[in-house]
Amino acid sequence: MICAGIDAGSRSIKVVLFDTARAQIIASGLADQGVEQERLAAELFESLLQQAGLDRSRISSVVATGYGRNAIRFAGTTITEITCHARGVHWLAPDARSIIEIGGQDSKIISLEEGGRVRDFAMNDRCAAGTGRFLEMVAARLDMTWEKLAQLGRQSQAPALISNVCVVFAETEIIGLLADGKPLPDVVAGVQNAIATRVAALASRLASPPVYFTGGVALLPGMARALEEVLACPVRVAPRPQFTGALGAALCARAANPSPAGL
Amino acid sequence: MNSPPRKLDLDQWDGRYEQLRRDGLREPAYGGPLRRHVVREKDFRLQQLRFDNSPAALRLWNFLLTENQRLHQARAEGDKIVGTMKDLGTVPVMAYALPGLRAFYPDGAWWTPCLMECGDKLLQKAEMMGIDASFCPVRAMLPAFQEGGHFPRPDLLVCSAGAICDDFSAIAQRLEHLGHPILWWETPRRRQPASGERACALPGHLAAPQVQVDCVRAELQRIARALGELAGQTLDDSFLAAGICAANQVRQRLDSLRRAVYCAPAAPLPALEMLVAEMLAIHFCSDRQETIAVLDALLAEVQSRAHRSQFIIGPDAARIFWVNPVADLRAMNLLEDLGGRLCGSDFMFSHALDLIPENLPPLDALARAALADPMVGPTEDRAARIVRECRSNRAEALVVSRIPGASHCAREGEIILQIVRREIGIPAIELEIPPVCDALSPSLGSRLRALVETAQARRPK
Repeated sequence: MICAGIDAGSRSIKVVLFDTARAQIIASGLADQGVEQERLAAELFESLLQQAGLDRSRISSVVATGYGRNAIRFAGTTITEITCHARGVHWLAPDARSIIEIGGQDSKIISLEEGGRVRDFAMNDRCAAGTGRFLEMVAARLDMTWEKLAQLGRQSQAPALISNVCVVFAETEIIGLLADGKPLPDVVAGVQNAIATRVAALASRLASPPVYFTGGVALLPGMARALEEVLACPVRVAPRPQFTGALGAALCARAANPSPAGL
Repeated sequence: MNSPPRKLDLDQWDGRYEQLRRDGLREPAYGGPLRRHVVREKDFRLQQLRFDNSPAALRLWNFLLTENQRLHQARAEGDKIVGTMKDLGTVPVMAYALPGLRAFYPDGAWWTPCLMECGDKLLQKAEMMGIDASFCPVRAMLPAFQEGGHFPRPDLLVCSAGAICDDFSAIAQRLEHLGHPILWWETPRRRQPASGERACALPGHLAAPQVQVDCVRAELQRIARALGELAGQTLDDSFLAAGICAANQVRQRLDSLRRAVYCAPAAPLPALEMLVAEMLAIHFCSDRQETIAVLDALLAEVQSRAHRSQFIIGPDAARIFWVNPVADLRAMNLLEDLGGRLCGSDFMFSHALDLIPENLPPLDALARAALADPMVGPTEDRAARIVRECRSNRAEALVVSRIPGASHCAREGEIILQIVRREIGIPAIELEIPPVCDALSPSLGSRLRALVETAQARRPK
């Protein structure tokens, strides 16, 4: 049986095809998010089927998650990111007891029981200061990619102090710091620390080790280190952090086995 | 008239109302179709809500939404109007004890922008008056007072001070400076009796030092004199005792309703109607006797549904305990749309649901009731009650909702979450719900849905 999970995030769409018999991911892919979410998700889904040499009829169930999940009408059911990230991270890292997920427009902390069941969670989706949107703003302002941003952050010797209260104010601060000649790596590291501090405020009451870090922002090496410093505990980056939501959705599809609609 | 319970939007209620009329629906003077509140009062938010389909629920909504008319009519008939501010349930009991007095709750104006989808501009006007969005939406009462047109200008304004929120104090002081004299009374911050200090039991399993009860009683004595002067007769113990007895009739009915709804295996009445019904405890929506009739009708409906095993939300729904009232009523619909149901509530005035002792001198009993207000005591006391009720009502998750700017205790939500997590280990979230939450609906929905999923996944297999 092949199950599919679709994570329609704010910045990108992720799809995972999961072979339940062999208990392994057989294909995964990612595409930029856009206005026509369902079409973009369907195209990505189709391309992964082709890549895996599968026919649609082989897919027994599809679950969608992410903020755009309700737009994916060909999914048999929808499940929130909290449940899906928990399921995905637990499958990849069964020792996980807490998950920090920083996405494009929100951040979450999920506390897990032994066995991977969600114990509790907290979310920040009202303020961009603790989310990937902050990094996007900085990348756009500095006209560079996330990857370049991450490399720069690692070179920092003395991270700048940047407000973690408001991204709009922070942008002004960044312009001021650069105008004052603050080295770029220190500014970038300052932004990472600001995000980490914001997330830590959310996470501190729920984070118990081992803490795993997932979501697209986890790919930036400096972020895990920044989180470790503010949380004062090791933070491990989950394997394939961009795909844990989609993987969790596929695992939920395996469990629920809902019939896909319109496939 | 006994249709199976379901939720109806306003369009569906139009049809339902016509059907009920054809079937011989009998309504009180304030009755009529719900639609008229949109057309006449511009309560546009009603168009986004879904309501219980019972005649009892219709009566509840009509009672709620005609309060201002009721107050104007009372004034025209010669009644004196008493505005009781920042007092959720004590001074109204005293005011209604005297014939010819009507108490209302001007702070309730904070709901007006919520119902009118800010079309009334009260919040913007409050900002022009120097009270901006960093303050509680109660600031809406400032322009409501200044403009008139909403509620009549009270003959007497009474407001508690001391252990209340700073926001409210600032807004009320501004109101006084705008030319609305206020009779202030002080309530101390409730504390545990010290060792060797004479203790006094309060409703709600609380205690306070006798000296605090004495202090509040003296303050209430002052209020009683003022109310008596306004009514032209002394507010003596016999009036007060009768007033307490009548208030307790309301509280008993609310207690019965809460038990019948929150403890039922499935929900016989929607969360939205429960929120509105509980609100009646504060000041009886300006008509104490009618409040009893409205609650009796609701209770009869709930009991009838339970008897027929007909419910509005099925037994699989996650049992959610809800803390604090919501600014946008749509949130209560949203909870049920996403698979939850109310199994308990603390809408900030739990003391107004407790019976006022009838075996004590009336002012002493009222002072104890006032001191049991969750807002005048430590958050830990409030959380202890929430934990007790979560346990007894088998709550599977907890929501603490916040209103932007409302901050009588900025850390209260977090403290309640921590204590509930520690004591009963159920998932708990805090949500900020602004007066109109349309733009936030996806994220609110995501959080509520995640909470429901988490609660349901934790059920024993």
